[in-house]
Amino acid sequence: MKRRFVALALTAPFLLGACGTDASSSAPASVSGKTAQAAAETQNVNSVAEITAGSTFNDTDVMFLQMLVDNQEQGLEMVGVASERAQRQEILDFAKAVELTQSDELTMMKNWLKEWDKPAELDERESLHADHGGLPVTTEKEIEGLQKIKKADFETAFLNLFLGHQQTAVEFAALELDKGANEQARALAERVKQSRADQIQQMLKLLNG
Amino acid sequence: MRRKIAYPLATLGMVAASTVAVASPALAHGYVSSPPSRQALCAAGTVSDCGAIQFEPQSVEAPKGSSQCNGGNANFSVLNDESRNWPATSVGSSVTFNWVLTARHRTATWVYSIDGTEVATFNDNNAIPNATVSHKVDLSGFSGKKTVLAVWNIGDTAAAFYSCVDLNIGGGGSSTTPTTSPTKAPTTAPTTAPTKAPTTAPTTAPTKAPTTAPGTTAPTSTAPTSTAPTKAPTGSEWAPGVSYKVGDVVTYQGVSYKTRQAHTSIRSWEPSIFTLALWLPL
Repeated sequence: MKRRFVALALTAPFLLGACGTDASSSAPASVSGKTAQAAAETQNVNSVAEITAGSTFNDTDVMFLQMLVDNQEQGLEMVGVASERAQRQEILDFAKAVELTQSDELTMMKNWLKEWDKPAELDERESLHADHGGLPVTTEKEIEGLQKIKKADFETAFLNLFLGHQQTAVEFAALELDKGANEQARALAERVKQSRADQIQQMLKLLNG
Repeated sequence: MRRKIAYPLATLGMVAASTVAVASPALAHGYVSSPPSRQALCAAGTVSDCGAIQFEPQSVEAPKGSSQCNGGNANFSVLNDESRNWPATSVGSSVTFNWVLTARHRTATWVYSIDGTEVATFNDNNAIPNATVSHKVDLSGFSGKKTVLAVWNIGDTAAAFYSCVDLNIGGGGSSTTPTTSPTKAPTTAPTTAPTKAPTTAPTTAPTKAPTTAPGTTAPTSTAPTSTAPTKAPTGSEWAPGVSYKVGDVVTYQGVSYKTRQAHTSIRSWEPSIFTLALWLPL
């Protein structure tokens, strides 16, 4: 069983190229994590900050990272507020775990953009998203709103906002898996797709639990 | 210090093209999250085997005017399937419906109906909605098991988004639904640890120089040198959907890890170089 996963991890970079975005979440649970890990291991690194992206990349890779950096910086603000204002321990734990894991992702993504000599900041968030058919879900106004909302209403507001926010990350990841070229960025996209889908599952249960 | 990023038109064109070509939830939009709509129950895993809707609960888009739970969108016909025994949420006579939105289109109306009868309409006059939307609806004229059809009518397109919410009206004031709580992490009483780490290296392991620094999560056959405990506590194998407390120990790929931050595990949060903030390699 374990051995099979290892074998998959090694071939996954090639499989990914073939199966595009339809892999959805039905793939065996740990395949993509291992794909990314296998990719990282080949670099012999001790932390995500040391992982380099390599010189093969295209416009989609750059756009994916830039949009996800923006998404995650906002996401970190949101879970930061939740760490202070949520009341249920499960939500506090969830927010903290997201904060920790996404902080590492953010470090990695910014390093890759730097490696490629691309800016990490978007200032055309609105028009870019408008081209995708709608305004951005999250704006500074909403994040401020989380600070001000009555404590009794906070958890519902946070969960609904963050549900939409994480779903957009899944959409970015689907784009990268469809059109991206960089192996590390694609492996990250697969992890984002999985982790966010599962976070959505957790949040819906927290919302209705 | 913000730099302006001008994407080449070709890139944006490509994005648009990909959203059409790919069967993925691009340009997706919104659904009722609580009380949980049928697609929310699918996305939460509370109802299983829903098909694609599980991963894109916000995508039940169809022309305006339908009275079906899937809006007539054949991709999501499972939502019309009454034989699925959709769990109904017990509610009082007044219910607050909460929406999750992933794209905020100009909005004509939000319409709630039961058995084809309109119960409430909220007119947004073509405004852009807030990032989250809630409506309080009076259902005092109804009792028992009812299915509320909630429709978000878009202002600047012919489309609408459909959510069916199954309720047991008068069944209780709080909107609690049965949820499957995460399984508890087994309490890992350290047993006598193996004195040696497993010696057989995975046959298919990548050929590479073994790393010696602590913090690496490579599936090497030896424990990190500097911290190698002679009596590593053995925990159970890491698994998704488990509630781990700080200090819980798991094994993963033959290596033991201690939980640094309490969390309920999900895919891609397994111990790895990407999750050192959650897991301390032992």
